[in-house]
Amino acid sequence: MTETSRLEGAVGIELGRQTCLTCFQLIDGLEPGYCPRCGERVAARIPEAISRTWAWVITGTLLLYPANKLPVMSVTRLGQTETDSIMGGVFTLYQSGQLAIAILVFVASVVVPGIKLLGLTYLCLTVQYGRNFNPLRVTRLYRLVHLIGRWSLLDLFLISILVALVNLGSIARIEAQSGATAFATVVIVTMFASHSFDPRLIWDRHRKVQADG
Amino acid sequence: MSNGVDPRLGYSASAWQRACHECDLLLIENTAPVGHRILCPRCGALLHRASKHSIGYTAAMSLAGLVLFIPANLLPLLTFSLAGYSGENALYTGVLALYREGFIWLALLVFLCSMLAPLLKLLALLFISAGSSWPPLRDYVAAALRKLEHFQQWAMLDVYMLGVLVALVKLGDLGDLGIANGIYCYAALMLCSTLAAANFDAEAIWLRLDAMSPQELPA
Repeated sequence: MTETSRLEGAVGIELGRQTCLTCFQLIDGLEPGYCPRCGERVAARIPEAISRTWAWVITGTLLLYPANKLPVMSVTRLGQTETDSIMGGVFTLYQSGQLAIAILVFVASVVVPGIKLLGLTYLCLTVQYGRNFNPLRVTRLYRLVHLIGRWSLLDLFLISILVALVNLGSIARIEAQSGATAFATVVIVTMFASHSFDPRLIWDRHRKVQADG
Repeated sequence: MSNGVDPRLGYSASAWQRACHECDLLLIENTAPVGHRILCPRCGALLHRASKHSIGYTAAMSLAGLVLFIPANLLPLLTFSLAGYSGENALYTGVLALYREGFIWLALLVFLCSMLAPLLKLLALLFISAGSSWPPLRDYVAAALRKLEHFQQWAMLDVYMLGVLVALVKLGDLGDLGIANGIYCYAALMLCSTLAAANFDAEAIWLRLDAMSPQELPA
């Protein structure tokens, strides 16, 4: 088979079939309704996928500013308080010689949310305006965005562990700060964003572009 | 293609079993033979993976996970001491500490991802795999299966584990940090939970449930 023929084939929405995304039952007809097998709501495509994804992506992007600007935690040692932002925490780890951990935290807290927001923006733009793209590659980008998202909560869990562990009165004390709220919200919002996106739209767009010539 | 027959493949409209959930390609197969998996030939999405003894393994692993859940949640995972003072961290103390400082939203999130969702996931997996062979439970199993799809993404034991490891390194130069017994239970819990989910075959359960659809139940 050539590369082009692999990209063709019978498509559910064109032959009047829809799929339940919960139990993957194939259902005759394209009217939105409920899955006869599992009872979950079904539609041929996730309703309003692009506008919802945009809404979450824009919310996440706006929250990036407080998430990175505000301190996420403060460390008090013998009466002296230092605050750390996300990048500050990475830098502290780097300075104390923990390069591998610094990279890990940097990837989880900065690179992953960045890739997610940029990736979802690219996905939405491709579905809306894309002309010349490889749908297989775009689908792989979607899978990457979808898979990596949850690892960003690493920093939130780290904060919760440190706060509980280092609570020794005036000797040493770690407290959460408002940036943590913004940061956790960014992660949750990007998770909602990638769940609102429907990768089948990539292939719909591809077919439309091919048909238009 | 409007007559429902793919001219290239020549399948009739009734032959379609499944449409790929990531690219909507229609396929004539929806279940892989035991020990195999099927990928979408066009976009490569994983459509089905059938592991041997899937239902039994899932039941065993989720039961083991539930047993481990208790010590993993109650025993301290890490201890920290400095100048004669010491503190410990169990799963719930992080939630409580955030709550006391007024970060209710964060406390709820940590509670959901590290305690509630993993617990519900294990309970649901056990209930589904053990209950799916008993017709009177059919509708409850179907409901649990449906809910499972929604909350299992919030179970983040693996991410939390990474948080514990980072905390170990990060606090090393602030004071004396030690690992406590809870961490072994926690690691084992994470392993059981991952194996239970990896062996779980929702399609096999749905097929079982299809075989005992409500109208065919004995009166």
